[in-house]
Amino acid sequence: MKHLRIIVAIAAVALCGSWQAQAGGVKVIANTSVPASTISAGEVKDVFLLDKDSLGGSHVEPVLAKGGPAHEAFLKEYLGKSDGALQAFYRSLVFTGKASMPKTLGTDAEVVAYVAKTKGAVGYVSGDASTPGVKTLDVK
Amino acid sequence: MRKMLLRHIAAGLVAALTVSIGLHAQDFKLGTRTVQVHGFASQGYAYSDENNFLTMDTSRGSPAFTEGALNLSMAVTDKFRFGGQGYSRKIGSLDDFRPSLDWAYGDYKVANWLGFRGGKVKTVMGLYNDTQDMTFLYPWALLPQGVYPVDLRTTYIAHTGGDAYGRVSLKELGKLEYTFYGGQRSYDDRDGTILFIQQLGYKLKTISGHTIGWDVKLHPMKDLTLGTSWANLAQHRLQLTPPTTLQNMDNDPNDIWSGYEDYTRGKLQISSEYRANELMNRVAPTTPGGTVTMSNKSTIEWFAAASYRITSKLQTGYYHSNWQMTVPHTPAIQASAHIHDEVVAARYDIDRFWDVKAEGHFMNGYGDSHQAQGFYVKFNPQGLKPTTNLLMLRATFKF
Repeated sequence: MKHLRIIVAIAAVALCGSWQAQAGGVKVIANTSVPASTISAGEVKDVFLLDKDSLGGSHVEPVLAKGGPAHEAFLKEYLGKSDGALQAFYRSLVFTGKASMPKTLGTDAEVVAYVAKTKGAVGYVSGDASTPGVKTLDVK
Repeated sequence: MRKMLLRHIAAGLVAALTVSIGLHAQDFKLGTRTVQVHGFASQGYAYSDENNFLTMDTSRGSPAFTEGALNLSMAVTDKFRFGGQGYSRKIGSLDDFRPSLDWAYGDYKVANWLGFRGGKVKTVMGLYNDTQDMTFLYPWALLPQGVYPVDLRTTYIAHTGGDAYGRVSLKELGKLEYTFYGGQRSYDDRDGTILFIQQLGYKLKTISGHTIGWDVKLHPMKDLTLGTSWANLAQHRLQLTPPTTLQNMDNDPNDIWSGYEDYTRGKLQISSEYRANELMNRVAPTTPGGTVTMSNKSTIEWFAAASYRITSKLQTGYYHSNWQMTVPHTPAIQASAHIHDEVVAARYDIDRFWDVKAEGHFMNGYGDSHQAQGFYVKFNPQGLKPTTNLLMLRATFKF
C-alpha cells in the first residue's frame, strides 16, 4: 500500500511536469533541421529575445503568433513580457538596424506551416494544435 | 496660422497613410532573401503659457512637430546583415522635412560575444541616445529634455565609423552587454547647435567633430539594467565674428559620463540617468598672437522617471528632468543656469500600430544664452520668462 502511494505520487508529479512542459496549453515546435529535442525554459527565452541564435550548433530563428490564448500563455510563461513590451523590445532593435522583426503569423496552422518549411524556425502553438511536419521540443 | 496647422496635420496624415498602405507589404523578396520594411510617422501639438519652446510658436499653440522614418534591412547570411533608415522631421525651425540618412551599416556577428558594425551607426550612450527618436517605445511624448534634447539630436545621435559589440554571460551575475565605437559626427545646419551659434552673432564657416566612447550594460536579474557610458565629443568650428574676426572655436575636452538604470516589476517601471558633461570651450583668432579665451561650459544633467501600466492599453507616468550649468554664464540671472522640468504623462495604445499621448511639462528656468537647450532668444523676442508650462499632444503610427 505504501509503495502504491509512492508510485501514485511519482506518477502525479510526472504528469504535472509533463503539463508544465506544455506550459499551460502551449507547446514549442521547431523545424526538423533543428537537432535539439529538448530545450530549457531559459533557452526558449534567449531564442525569442534574440540572445541566442543557435541550438545544438544549428542556427535558429523565432516565429511569433500575432495574438490569441497560446500567444498570451507563451509570453507569460516563457518571456515574462506583455505583447506591448515584446513589440517595443523588437522595435528598439529594428529601428536601430540591430535585428529583424521575427516572422509573425495569425493562426496555429500558419505557424506550423511556416515552421515546417523554414530551416531553423522555432515557434509555439496551442497545446492541442495539430503539428504535422515539425518536431515538438520538450521544455525542461 | 490655420494654413500652417492644416499643412502639418496633412503632412502627418500623408505620412501615416503612406506607411499604412505599405502595412501589408512589410517585407519583400530580393532573390532568395527577405527585405523587411518598417517605419513610423508622428505628429505633435504643443501649447505653452509663456516662453516658446524648441523654436515652435508654442505660446500660440503649434502643430510644427512632425517626424517620420522608413527603414529597409536584410539578413544576407546568418551572421551578416545590412540596412538603412531615412529620417525626416520639422520641429519649429529645426529641420524642414529634409530627408536625411539616419543610419546605414553592415553588421557582422562573429559570435554572441563579438560583432562589428561599419557605416553610419546610431551611437549607444546612456539609456536612450540611440532610440531617442522612437518615442513610441516610451510613455513620454518628449524624452527628458535635460538629457535628450530634441534640438541637439544630430549632435549626439549617430557617428560614421564603426562599433565593436557583444553580449557575455556572467553566470550567476547575469549578462553583460558592451559597445565600443568611434567615428565622425555630422551636423545639420538646422540643428540647435547651429541656431544658437547664429543667435550669438557668429557666422559659421565649418564645423566638425569626432565621437569615441563605450557603453556597458549589466543585466544582473530579470528586467533590471544597470549601465554606464563614456563619450568624447570634441568639436571644432571655424566661425566669423562680424565684421572681420575669424576664430577657431574648440569644445575640447568634451567628455560625457553617464550612469543609468531601468527596472520593471509587474506594471511599474522605474528609470533614471545621471550625466556629467565636462566641456571646456576655447576660442582663438586664426591669426597668431591674438587673445585666447577659455570658458567652462560643463553641465550636470539627470532625470528620474516612473510609469505605471493601468490597463493593457493605458499607461501613466511622471518624471523630473534636471539640467544645470556648473559655471553659469550669467550667474545673476538664476533662471539662466538651469532647467527643471516636472512632467506628467499618459499614453493610450489604440492598437499595435497607433498610440496617442498627452503630457504636461512644468518647467522652471530656461537655460543659458550660450548653450542650446530648448529656449532660444531669437524665438522669444519679448524676453525669456523664468517658468514655462507646456502641454504636449502626440499621435504616432508605426509598423
